[in-house]
Amino acid sequence: MKILSLFSRSHGFHDQLQQSRVRLYRVAYSWSHDAALADDLVQETLSKALKNHGQLREPEMLNSWLFSILTNCWRDHFRQQREMEDIEEIEDYRCVHETTPEDEHAQTQIVGRVRGAVARLALGQRQVLTLVDLEEFSYVEVAAILEIPVGTVMSRLCRARRALKEMLQELAPVHSAQVSHIRRVK
Amino acid sequence: MKRDDRFVSDEFLHAFVDDQLDAAEKSQAFDAIGHDDTLKERVCELRGLKEMMKHAYAHPPTRVPAVKGRRSRASYLQALAACLLLCIGGASGWFAHVWTGVGSDREMARLLQSVQRNDIGGEPQKLIVHVSSSNPVRLKSALDETESLLDAYRRTNRPLQVEIIANGGGVDLLRADVSPYAKRIGMMQEKYPNLGFMACGQTIKKLREKGVDVQLLPHTGVASSALDQITRRLKQDWVYIKV
Repeated sequence: MKILSLFSRSHGFHDQLQQSRVRLYRVAYSWSHDAALADDLVQETLSKALKNHGQLREPEMLNSWLFSILTNCWRDHFRQQREMEDIEEIEDYRCVHETTPEDEHAQTQIVGRVRGAVARLALGQRQVLTLVDLEEFSYVEVAAILEIPVGTVMSRLCRARRALKEMLQELAPVHSAQVSHIRRVK
Repeated sequence: MKRDDRFVSDEFLHAFVDDQLDAAEKSQAFDAIGHDDTLKERVCELRGLKEMMKHAYAHPPTRVPAVKGRRSRASYLQALAACLLLCIGGASGWFAHVWTGVGSDREMARLLQSVQRNDIGGEPQKLIVHVSSSNPVRLKSALDETESLLDAYRRTNRPLQVEIIANGGGVDLLRADVSPYAKRIGMMQEKYPNLGFMACGQTIKKLREKGVDVQLLPHTGVASSALDQITRRLKQDWVYIKV
């Protein structure tokens, strides 16, 4: 019976990992805006989770735990890719792409515009914003995942949304003369 | 979260939109928003942004397969594949060990054979073989190996003493009404006087408490407990082999 319960536990764990895959991918993509890299990060995260699942003491913390692993994998990726002396710098690293992750024509679409704007946010802000908005983690959970104080989570979130709002206005398609004909009538 | 009544901070509004306020703070927020159109507009704007974020990442694009020249991805995949293989291998090994005992039998055969090979000194070899499972495959293997060992020693005129101690499910091996090898054990005892069989007294006691009528095979000894017997034998420099 003990063996069976062990087996069913590990089976359940695999199922939960499988279910978390989509969520991890979504966040990894929102951080990197690169499908291949996001996929790698998720693979790495799941592989680490499988290897270290003994470290997870409270099963209800699975989600936060997985996103913490994802954060570490993301940091490792930056360590490999960019030789920064101080790893903390990546928090403020701004990924400015000459071309946005979406094609130019996608800029006219809301999805492309939002993704383009998020891609231009400082990484620290981007992480907080996506964890709160996409995964609906509480501020306390985000603080634990990213290993930063709750106050920092709140301030980064405010700055991120403010910047996002401004960028979305910047990225908004320029209305042609025809569009300007439309007026609000009270 | 503190709030100045005259000024609602951005943080407070964000926390409200993200459902991070407690009940009292939430009431304050609703109250303030109800009386202030500008606040209402800010809240709407924030909610809109939040929805927009969800919408933008509801269906992220998936990776395009077969992209060349990304060593890191290949290594991640390899790591995952290796990890999965390890898991599968580990799990199958574990179940093989528990359910069939095949791995364990091989191990035992190996141990017994190494005993056979290394006995060059004049001292008689003393082996205590511990059987704790009622798995017939394992029982058979234990008897087979013990018999071939006894036979090999007899042919070369070397002294050997073997004691098979059974506890838990292994006691079935020595129960007259249950053992699948009663006849064989009888023959082995007749043939090899240097082979002894012992059953664990604790296991028998537990079985009897459950109302099981335990009848042991003839010439089977009963130890106070398997653990006691094994400890005693180890102190007497016997070699211990667990099946």
